[in-house]
Amino acid sequence: MIEKLKGYREEGKELLEKNQIEIWDIVQIKTRKTQYEGIVLPRIEHSAPNFINIKLENNYNIGVKVSEILEINKIGKKEASYKIPEKDFPHNKALPILKLFGTGGTIASRLDYTTGAVIPSFTPGELFSAVPELAEICNLECEIVFEILSENMKPHNWQKLAEKVKDAANSGIDGVVIGHGTDTMSYTSTALSFMLKDLSIPVVLVGSQRSSDRPSSDAALNLINAAVVASSDIAEVVLTMLGSPSHEYGLIHRGTLVRKMHSSVRHTFRTIDSIPLGLVQNRKIKMFTTDYRKKSKKSTQTFPNFESKIALVYSYPGNDNKLINFYIDKGYKGIVLIGTGLGHVSTNLYESIERAIQEGITVLMTTQTLHGFIGMNVYSTGRELLNMGVIPGKNLLPEVAYVKLGWVLGQTSNPEEIKHLINKNIAGEFLEREIPIAFNYNIDELLKNKKL
Amino acid sequence: MTQQYDYEKLGLKCGLEIHQQLDTKKKLFCRCPAILQGTREPDFTISREMRPVLGEMGTYDQAMLTEYEKGMGITYEGYNDVVCTYELDDTPPFSCNNEARRIALQIATLLNANIIEEMHVCRKNYLDGSVPCGFQRTMILGTEGYLTLESGKKIRIDILSLEEEAARKIKTENKINYFRLDRLGIPLIEVTTKPDINNPEECRECAERIGLLLWSTKVKKVLGSIRQDVNVSIEAGTRIEIKGVQKLGWIPLLINHEISRQLNLLVIKEELRRRKLNENNIQNKPIDLSNSLKNIKSSFLAKGIKSGKKIYGINFSGFKELFGKELMEDYRFGTEISSKVKLISGLKGIIHSDEELIKYNLSNEDINIIKEKLGTKEKDCFILVLGTKNECIKAMDVIITRVKFAFKGVPPETRRALENGNTEFLRELHGGARLYPDTDSEPIFNYEEELNEIKKSLPEYPWITIKQYSEKYKTEERIIKDLIFTGKIDLFDKLIKLYPNNPSLIFTTLLETTTALRREEKNIENITDDDYVEIFSLLKKKEISKEAIEELMSIKADSPELSINQIKKKLKIESISISELNSFIDEIVKKNLKLIKEKEMRAKGPLMGEVMKKVRGKIDGAVVSKELENSIKKTLKEMK
Repeated sequence: MIEKLKGYREEGKELLEKNQIEIWDIVQIKTRKTQYEGIVLPRIEHSAPNFINIKLENNYNIGVKVSEILEINKIGKKEASYKIPEKDFPHNKALPILKLFGTGGTIASRLDYTTGAVIPSFTPGELFSAVPELAEICNLECEIVFEILSENMKPHNWQKLAEKVKDAANSGIDGVVIGHGTDTMSYTSTALSFMLKDLSIPVVLVGSQRSSDRPSSDAALNLINAAVVASSDIAEVVLTMLGSPSHEYGLIHRGTLVRKMHSSVRHTFRTIDSIPLGLVQNRKIKMFTTDYRKKSKKSTQTFPNFESKIALVYSYPGNDNKLINFYIDKGYKGIVLIGTGLGHVSTNLYESIERAIQEGITVLMTTQTLHGFIGMNVYSTGRELLNMGVIPGKNLLPEVAYVKLGWVLGQTSNPEEIKHLINKNIAGEFLEREIPIAFNYNIDELLKNKKL
Repeated sequence: MTQQYDYEKLGLKCGLEIHQQLDTKKKLFCRCPAILQGTREPDFTISREMRPVLGEMGTYDQAMLTEYEKGMGITYEGYNDVVCTYELDDTPPFSCNNEARRIALQIATLLNANIIEEMHVCRKNYLDGSVPCGFQRTMILGTEGYLTLESGKKIRIDILSLEEEAARKIKTENKINYFRLDRLGIPLIEVTTKPDINNPEECRECAERIGLLLWSTKVKKVLGSIRQDVNVSIEAGTRIEIKGVQKLGWIPLLINHEISRQLNLLVIKEELRRRKLNENNIQNKPIDLSNSLKNIKSSFLAKGIKSGKKIYGINFSGFKELFGKELMEDYRFGTEISSKVKLISGLKGIIHSDEELIKYNLSNEDINIIKEKLGTKEKDCFILVLGTKNECIKAMDVIITRVKFAFKGVPPETRRALENGNTEFLRELHGGARLYPDTDSEPIFNYEEELNEIKKSLPEYPWITIKQYSEKYKTEERIIKDLIFTGKIDLFDKLIKLYPNNPSLIFTTLLETTTALRREEKNIENITDDDYVEIFSLLKKKEISKEAIEELMSIKADSPELSINQIKKKLKIESISISELNSFIDEIVKKNLKLIKEKEMRAKGPLMGEVMKKVRGKIDGAVVSKELENSIKKTLKEMK
């Protein structure tokens, strides 16, 4: 239920209150120049205070200036009440049982046509009526774990998800799909990769770049692709989203090597420093490698502990010791430096980095080029930082290094064990070699030239 | 069959929806150049699909479902220099183009509309693929305007909206629609009238006036930049939207044909009642006849079956002669069903028993088998379709639904205008619920100060301009109208300033000469406004004569890389002075003294020809005529 005058303030609110008019009232408005009839709509937050929002009879919305209004009269009310159609999700014994966890992304949703607000739809029945193809792939169980925007995800959310996945894996579910906002999806995929040991089933994170209330949405196809991957033998935490601007195929990315690389396009996710594990198209999977963990009968375990006092510090011309000193003073346990080039920072920061290490803070180096390995033996800056005790993060993406460091520090506080765990390849996050096409691979072209 | 009706008695009501592209540098919601690329090969293609989204009441819009059921794939073709990730629905919209908004405000003011102070961008769903995001962004800018017709009758303008142009459809191949994205996002104004128009001629005039008014502002003035849709209803029938009316002249014919279609559908409805038939008794189960017709004589049906296709049939009891009933000229009820089947199922058409079945080479034996299997009796009618099983089932579904509607009368539809004045089914009429707020954009303001500024510099109403020009330049109003509708009125203004003495030469050049050259398939788009200015400057300086204009234009059309001056040099057009002319004339007169003596002044005709041979294009013929006459007179005098 929306509050009676949602979004209205100052003149707009005064006028409505004075005339005892609420949102959803049908009103006749007489202005200095003309008259309108329509439904009073909620006002968009933070917009100009001196207008009233009206949905006209022809369905167009407009704003009417308060100072132009001579008279406003209520002539009725049209409360919007929306129901999402539900159809029973058919059961088919021959198909795998998948569990879909919702975290708040809008994999399937519908639009409130009046306010433009997105109403998520999530029960199997709702999903079935929106994406009936799912019933040809799997049996579906759904559970909303939380409803938050992905930028508001916190480590405790990852921990809860990890437990949910473990329970599912150990109770005979064939695969897990996690609907997730795309902004921090790769943080979650990384966290789950570390927190879940001996994972026995596929865990597939999926989202959409265009919300599912528009006909062109990528949500349905991504969901279908995710269900196919979750029904496969890939027992890893992976992320499946469209691989090109076309609605043709989805790519399967390893959870610890993937990054959102564009603010808005559909094929925003790319595997960095390597190529994706495979692709999914027309409900079939084509793997580009055999080097992935297969499904097993092992019991899935969780190691969810996480140290959240980890800072990500970007190196840039002109920064100084204050920032790192701040984190030290605030009791942070780990710092991931996002250095320049091969893993450098300005000598301006030396003093605070040395202090951090002396005070027992783990400092891990990554690069803002995102692509390529850290190489701290090439220039004197690198050697000096190594000498101080900075740990080179090899090919780790800054965000992956952040999650890994938090997880490692959650497991142990022993300096030797910390070093050992950081350098250990736990969830496929480290690469031994970078294949030459990794930097600028184009899957469309590789497919066209039959190189995959 | 331009049948006339008593429109008042029929309760004819028409409304117009006119779409016009604005002439802006950039598109409406992104900063791509608003320039069409013609036949240029695209730089890239991407493929997409659209899915219906749930409507306001938690159901799917029928029009959207129909579109989805067609199962068409979509391919977009784009250019790197005029299409960005916004048009691909891969980047949110940028701010609204102010140039477009100001032009739209000017048009709204000319139409006496009330201006919306705070505009909210809305989304209008389109599933046909013509907009990659699946909806058009549109905003209402004005309401309650009016336009005055010649008679003084006021036609009310319902709304004016500013919106984005859709992509242009290139082709359909293998169940894929190809759209070119250069046109997508060009600013468009939509003018919608109230259904105040009550006869076909009034409708044409209203469309013409709105068109003239739009073309007197900064809009794109090329073929296809303006599109008219006509809404037609009669009291006993229903409202039909006719899309894609390309020429004003089509409007009266389209309306008359639509009236005829609706009236005849009502006749069918009445006849069904008279025959005591009932909608609920219509068969729901088509029959697969493929096995029974294995040895069919008709070669195309036999070929179809051999290639694995199916023949489905259905019987409609008591329907004899109804499918053959003519609704419009050369368009029967059978055609109505068939064109709907074609569009939705992709089949080539239907066969029905009111047709001459002999044209399909069906033998009597075949027909008997069909009738027996379908249970067709003397007063019945059957329909056959040929296609894959799925196509047949879909087609039969369309057929049954449409036949059932015959009991109700005229189904509300959007129809496409055809050149012969007929229309064909395009899609179900969209429900009103497909407009909803665009959550990606901010409200847009129209400020009072801005409006006052616009009011100060409004152009004259074109019908007033037409009257003034036609009086001032002593020409028919039609000529001025043509200048406006060919987008040349501004050019005319420029040329008449430069060359004020002969307006009719300018009219001829801009209208008749261009038409003649176009008929010769010359690419007259290559002749720029500056070229015309150059031609008339040369004329003014007497460096060319008016006889040279057509040739200059013709060569410019073929070789756009040449300037008018270069062409002039190439043609060796140099004008000659009067004294040079007179020396030519003297020479010729001397050679022909005998002829002059014989024929006296009548010698002028043949001599004129000889002189013109030497001086054509270099000096005005009228001057030649005058000088030659003087010379002959002088010679005759001397002879005496």
